[in-house]
Amino acid sequence: MTDLFRAIVNIVSIVAIPLMLLIFLGWGIVKRVKVYEVFVEGAKDGFNVAIRIIPYLVAMLVAIGIFRASGAMEVFAMLFSPITNLIGMPAETLPMALMRPLSGSGSLGIMTELMSVHGPDSFIGVLASTMYGSTETTFYVLAVYFGAVGVKNTRHALPAGLIADVFGMLGAVLICRILFGI
Amino acid sequence: MLNYIWISLVVIGILVAAGTDFDAEMKNTYRNDVVMEGRLTITKSPTPIRATIEGVLILDRSYFNDFYGVKTSGEEIRLPVVIQGDMEIPRMAFGLSPDMPVIWKEFVKYASTKDKLSATVHSLEISEDGGTAQITFVREPIRFVKFKGVTQAALDYASIAVNIAIGLIGIMALWLGVMKVAEAAGLIRSLTRLLTPLTKRLFPDVPPDHPAVGAMIMNIAANMLGLSNAATPLGLKAMEELNKLNPKIGTATNAMCTFLVINTAGLVLLPATAIAVRAVAGSANPGIIIGTSIFGAGCATIAGLIAVKLLEKLKYYKKDLIVKAGGEGGPKS
Repeated sequence: MTDLFRAIVNIVSIVAIPLMLLIFLGWGIVKRVKVYEVFVEGAKDGFNVAIRIIPYLVAMLVAIGIFRASGAMEVFAMLFSPITNLIGMPAETLPMALMRPLSGSGSLGIMTELMSVHGPDSFIGVLASTMYGSTETTFYVLAVYFGAVGVKNTRHALPAGLIADVFGMLGAVLICRILFGI
Repeated sequence: MLNYIWISLVVIGILVAAGTDFDAEMKNTYRNDVVMEGRLTITKSPTPIRATIEGVLILDRSYFNDFYGVKTSGEEIRLPVVIQGDMEIPRMAFGLSPDMPVIWKEFVKYASTKDKLSATVHSLEISEDGGTAQITFVREPIRFVKFKGVTQAALDYASIAVNIAIGLIGIMALWLGVMKVAEAAGLIRSLTRLLTPLTKRLFPDVPPDHPAVGAMIMNIAANMLGLSNAATPLGLKAMEELNKLNPKIGTATNAMCTFLVINTAGLVLLPATAIAVRAVAGSANPGIIIGTSIFGAGCATIAGLIAVKLLEKLKYYKKDLIVKAGGEGGPKS
């Protein structure tokens, strides 16, 4: 069942981009759009959008980089450990849960390490990889998406995003405990 | 909120680094200025012209473990060394080698010379045949490790950020071009009409046939398929379209926040990265996490949407939308 699902999604994601290009540009020809001219017209904004992101991304990544390099994550993991013990979340996966919204590469590193220490099919290994798939890098997405349109006052986007992260992590613990529980 | 979290990351980071370094200095965690002893197998003896000694330093494993209070395993530690014998105080240098204990590999990063750890030799007693020696030495002091790390991280991440942005230019241009063609052909509008019942509820402030809706739908679809190369440009395109409806440039609208939360929750049908890492780690069933990940991300998406819809009703966040001077332009504020 999961294998079939996996195979289907795999194929769809491989053919999606070529298919999209074909349909979009092909449909343009059908509708007598001057495809080349219109494409170039749209594409020229690419540079500006990318460049506009830089200050936002620098601000965000430098703060996260300092936080990561200082080892503050371990301190936080220690502070939070009584709460996570209560809900049956192994202490080893706590840095993973804390790192996930902050840094994609950081959480990937933690996931890889947890798997090499505890094994990919251990409860910790399954939980760590589920956590990795259960949410996105909130701070990065926030910086890039809002940076592209010059939004500085992000209002309730961050609190809502962090609430989503917390529930994503809790959901991961819950489902892993039900299916692969200890 | 972002202001406070941002400054907290920086301040907490620097304070923790300061605390850790101070603690290490007090406890002498890195055992600076403590004499260590070992044996030396000399491979190249000094000659009258060249006073350098080359050899292999041999350290007893359990002695090393006790010295640093660490648990490394293996045979005795063997490291190629070079001793500069002609100086007043002979210096010994260890190159970075695969056999080096992890703790020393860490030290090399903070050492005064690149890829090398140096030490001052306190005593050197060469045996009569000149083949071996007893040696005592003091490794160069390692200090402010976390502070140096924080400095390096700040500089590194600043350039990583620029690299990421520069890397976006090409794919950004590609998708913006494709989207423009699709728009001109009226394809986006048809796609938008299909999902109007859903998007009307999620984004009540956005006219259902606005191009922003089409871009958002395509971004969410690309995200679910795990096509991050297409998803980010499409998402940024959606943001630009949403910004056209923004009466107060520089402040996020409700629709922008809702759209962002859907993105940060990151619902993906096939968590490809996690599956790949599991496969590399030798999992018997790498795909076992597909269902659990969808469940987790589903929880995140639902919780995020509920949170974003509740929070936008708070006075605290509503007041930011008020446009000063000139009344309210654009759609509902």
